[in-house]
Amino acid sequence: MRFLRSALLSCLALLATVLAKSSSGDKVLVLLDPSLDKANYSIFFNGLEKRGYDLTFRAPKDASPAVAAYDVPNYAHVILFTPDTKCTSPTNPHPSHARLTRTVAYASDITPQSLVGLLSENTNLLITLSPKQTPLTSLATEFSLIPPPPGTPLVSHHPKREEPATLVPVDVAPSPMLAKGTAPVWFSGAPHALGNSPYLVPILRAPATSFAADSTDDSDAAVIVDAADKAGEGLWAGSQLGLVTGFQTFKNSRVIFAGSVDLFSDAYARKPLPDGIPSGNAQFVRDVAAWVFQENMVLRIDRTAHHRVNETEPPEMYTINDQIVYTAYISAYNPRTSSWKPYDGLTDLQLEFTMLDPHVRTALPPVAGEPGKYEVQFRAPDRHGVFKFVIGWRRKGYSFLHTSTTVPVVPPRHDEYPRFLSAAWPYYAGAISTSVGFFVFSALWLAGDVKGERKNLKNTKSE
Amino acid sequence: MAGPKASSQSQATLSHTVSTLWKSYAHKTPDRLKFVDVFLTFLVLSGVIQFAYCVLVTNFPFNAFLAGFASTVGQFVLTASLRAQVNPENHTEFKEVSPERAFADFALGSIVLHFFVFNFLG
Repeated sequence: MRFLRSALLSCLALLATVLAKSSSGDKVLVLLDPSLDKANYSIFFNGLEKRGYDLTFRAPKDASPAVAAYDVPNYAHVILFTPDTKCTSPTNPHPSHARLTRTVAYASDITPQSLVGLLSENTNLLITLSPKQTPLTSLATEFSLIPPPPGTPLVSHHPKREEPATLVPVDVAPSPMLAKGTAPVWFSGAPHALGNSPYLVPILRAPATSFAADSTDDSDAAVIVDAADKAGEGLWAGSQLGLVTGFQTFKNSRVIFAGSVDLFSDAYARKPLPDGIPSGNAQFVRDVAAWVFQENMVLRIDRTAHHRVNETEPPEMYTINDQIVYTAYISAYNPRTSSWKPYDGLTDLQLEFTMLDPHVRTALPPVAGEPGKYEVQFRAPDRHGVFKFVIGWRRKGYSFLHTSTTVPVVPPRHDEYPRFLSAAWPYYAGAISTSVGFFVFSALWLAGDVKGERKNLKNTKSE
Repeated sequence: MAGPKASSQSQATLSHTVSTLWKSYAHKTPDRLKFVDVFLTFLVLSGVIQFAYCVLVTNFPFNAFLAGFASTVGQFVLTASLRAQVNPENHTEFKEVSPERAFADFALGSIVLHFFVFNFLG
């Protein structure tokens, strides 16, 4: 009986690890600030573990476990629950500046540079910010997020509620990465304005009635507006502010900047909204983590193929005006089975046939009945040179798809030109009639030679 | 009204000149040279037709046009040379060139010309 139960348990454990893994790995390093209690985030962390993630907790100033060894990341994902943690490295190791060195809160392996380095090694980051000015705030500016002045949390007096003005219920806009009908979430923390980087993925926007201010007291509201006008900075207000914003890098690693660590807390997950319904925090943070850990909206191009129409193998080179068939096979990651499944949901895929400029840009539609297969037939341009088949598909929130195949396009060989064109028959007739005329002329000339010669002689004699 | 009179006069002179020229050509030119002239006329007509087709309809394929047109032009040049060399009136100028030699040159040149023309015709 005990054996059976343990076997069952191990089976379940195996199932748990098989189910719902990220496409890039399961090892997660959580940097938890000592001031935060792990138990306060149990719903979020337990949810991750249930989905098969292997969480390792560490205080930001602990040296081990290291986030990377010899520039190779040890973890597939890093969660930084360190919204208030201040310095990244000793500003001055001299003993007389003991107060400065005591504020060191990060070990030497966590610096803005190392975090960017992790991203380029395809490690995903979940970063939490706070109204305080920290190294992570400066890092956020490098990702085209614009933080408000320090110490100005998000404030909203609407809707009327018992909670303080800095604890704001935020409506969740529908997005492909979030479950449909996610209830509004509780938020208390720092907003940020969005820069113009096209790689930003806005996930949660501030309510239209909210603003960033250092005081919840409305008595000096006019002063704030005046100052905003004079400083030329504008008002930190309204729904153009972001609260949770993602960023996807060229290498498809993902990073999330959340303006509040409390968003992930049990307290907010359990706290009912002002109208009594349960808050959407638990669902929201689960979906956000699923996106940043590359479970959802992860696509890849398995392979591409190209050949002339009515052939199957790619030729060594194409001839101008050839009819070319180009095929791409695209898969999406399915976190439920942790496998790649052919994906035919892309309707706006385009193929470019480029030589410096796209000479052909055409839709690459999915083939009905063959999931994951995208195919198009097109005519090669009347231009020879080194061409590339290029697919570049970039949509907010989805992995970027990019592939490029170089092929030469040559003019026809000397024996590949079309022959005996109907348009050229006057020329053929002209050349042939000249030849025939030459032969007839020669024959008559030679036949009439004797007589003509005599005549000529006669003529010359008579003259 | 001197104009019309003068023009009719000049017209009469012109037609007279032309008819004189034609009579002179018909009577004094040897048959051989008339035969050559017929061939030359045919080549000119063929060339003009091809050129008109190229300009008015299509020059595609251009190599075929070049070959067809060049064959008429080349053949015209060779035939005209033949005519000059066998003309008894030019006897003094081509003392070393007998009519047989002239025809052999003409035939060889034409064969080479047609070889290139048909290679280029496409």
